[in-house]
Amino acid sequence: MKTNMLKLGVLLAALYGIVPFVLGHNLYVMSLLVAAFTIGGIALAWALLGNLGGMVSFGHAAFFGVGAYSSAILTMKTGMPVFPAMLLSGLVAVVASIGMLPALKLKGPYFALAILAYAEIFRILATELPTLTGGTAGISSIPTLPTLFGFDFSSKVGTYLTIVTLVLAFIWIYKRVRASHYGIALRAMHESEDATRVVGVNSTLLKVMMLFLSAFMTGVVGAFNAHAINYLEPDYAFSGGWAIMPIVAAIFGGYRTISGPVVGALVVYLADQLVFKNLIPIGHQIVLGALLCLMILASPSGLMPLLAKVRQWRLRKSVAGDTHA
Amino acid sequence: MRACRIVAARSSDSIEKGGDMTELILQSLYSGLLAGGAYGLMALGIALVFGTMRVINLAHGELVLLAAYISYSFESHFGWNPMATIPIALVVVCISAALTYYLVDKIKKDRELNSLMLTYGIGILLTNAMLLIWKADIHSTSFAWYHADAVFGSFYSMRSELAFFGVSIGLLVVLWWWLAHTWYGRAVRAVASNPDAAKLMGINPSRTEVISFVIAGVLATFAGVALYCTSVIQPSLGHALTIKAFVITVLAGVGSIPGVLVAALLLGVIESLTVTLLSSAMRDLVGMVLFLVVLLLMPNGLFGLARRRG
Repeated sequence: MKTNMLKLGVLLAALYGIVPFVLGHNLYVMSLLVAAFTIGGIALAWALLGNLGGMVSFGHAAFFGVGAYSSAILTMKTGMPVFPAMLLSGLVAVVASIGMLPALKLKGPYFALAILAYAEIFRILATELPTLTGGTAGISSIPTLPTLFGFDFSSKVGTYLTIVTLVLAFIWIYKRVRASHYGIALRAMHESEDATRVVGVNSTLLKVMMLFLSAFMTGVVGAFNAHAINYLEPDYAFSGGWAIMPIVAAIFGGYRTISGPVVGALVVYLADQLVFKNLIPIGHQIVLGALLCLMILASPSGLMPLLAKVRQWRLRKSVAGDTHA
Repeated sequence: MRACRIVAARSSDSIEKGGDMTELILQSLYSGLLAGGAYGLMALGIALVFGTMRVINLAHGELVLLAAYISYSFESHFGWNPMATIPIALVVVCISAALTYYLVDKIKKDRELNSLMLTYGIGILLTNAMLLIWKADIHSTSFAWYHADAVFGSFYSMRSELAFFGVSIGLLVVLWWWLAHTWYGRAVRAVASNPDAAKLMGINPSRTEVISFVIAGVLATFAGVALYCTSVIQPSLGHALTIKAFVITVLAGVGSIPGVLVAALLLGVIESLTVTLLSSAMRDLVGMVLFLVVLLLMPNGLFGLARRRG
């Protein structure tokens, strides 16, 4: 327990103290980190739905886009302050996810593809409703993050601190849900949905709650991103990239763990931007595709179990070597 | 797409000349039907693989596009007629399809979902490989013959549309005959309806599965060359093609080739009517909405056998 607290303390000190202090002056690195944590936030929300809810989604771009657009519209048309608008946009994403509820009765692949269709519909609607969204021309000069208590959140360090705080808050919520009796019921549901129903767990309601929670998180991240980059267009906000990157990150880091998706996002995104993008300027996502294939084939539950397997294998080999000697 | 624009241009002409709405709708029905032929080829590829392996191949659209790009390469470098490039495209696409099978077959645990993510990954890989090789530019065949008018009664289309509609129907008939009358065709159907019983009857399931992937590759090749000759191609198109093919498969329901063909023609007609009556941007929206409605309300599709999904 004590070492856990210590680890947490070190982590928080690193995220809130050392990183901004050491790297804060380097705008390029800070914007990379902001983007990596943005992906991490979506990956976490995706993994929550996948792990606790047992549902694979290809359509998280829909929540991201809805969150982004609603926050931009709320702040620009009603003059609402940015932070409340971001949270409210998470709720708007939840409202958007209500339309997906009928899809919950579909199993596995069918749910995944139905939600993909929803995302496509939202992207087309954003393009086709120019009065609300500005159409293909997009929305520019979206308000930046505000200055509160004398601290400028729109600066690179402020933006970084905002998204780190959001992701940490999501991790906390995820942990609380998993530890609660809902979490236990959800895990039981994963083993056998029918048996769980028989003992009186409303599995549909639980799934709905996980979908809402995942949509809320993704919507808030989308809203954050809109205020961080101050510009939106349908093909950007609803881009399939917002679905691909988090899936690869979460699968890479291990979507059944809480830290996996975020760590995966940092590793995958930074490697993509710093290494692959330089090696292959156009089409660098080819590496992501290859990575996703490799992970699914080698270890669908992520890198950590794979490393453990390799370690075990080495151990066994060395033990075998000892007995032979 | 180009065809739609040509039709739309012609249609607006005819409105100015006082042509009536019925003519417009009939013309768009005709264009939609022609487009539906190639849709049918794509959708059958997905349906075959799903039938034998219960695997949804999300990289199928990318295979279709790969065939189109091979056609483009040989045309632009050596001046080959797209039709003449079909054998080469067949070899490359069928090898790719077999490789996809080989990878999917490696998955032992939780195959339904993991294969979905694997083929999604293969799709991303192929899309970006095509982007790397052929860049993001839009291409179409430069052989004028394919873009020339073909008049059929009072209906207009491009020659390529009419030709490839014929090719599609021909292929579907051959496939239907193959499934009904040859040993391997029957094996594919047997594995689709009950893999365990098929195994007991001495059918090698993995060989049957490879065959279904390769046949899907053959269909994808023809669909790809048809796409290249009748429309325009660009690397990002593959994903949309996969979705379209899957939409048709769901509309049709599992288990019948005529069902897939009818669903494909239906989608072609509905898209074409949407472009004519609403706008070209609404085209994909209508397909998606139709897909969701059928998926949620009619789990067996329009023509499927009475069998639950999942």
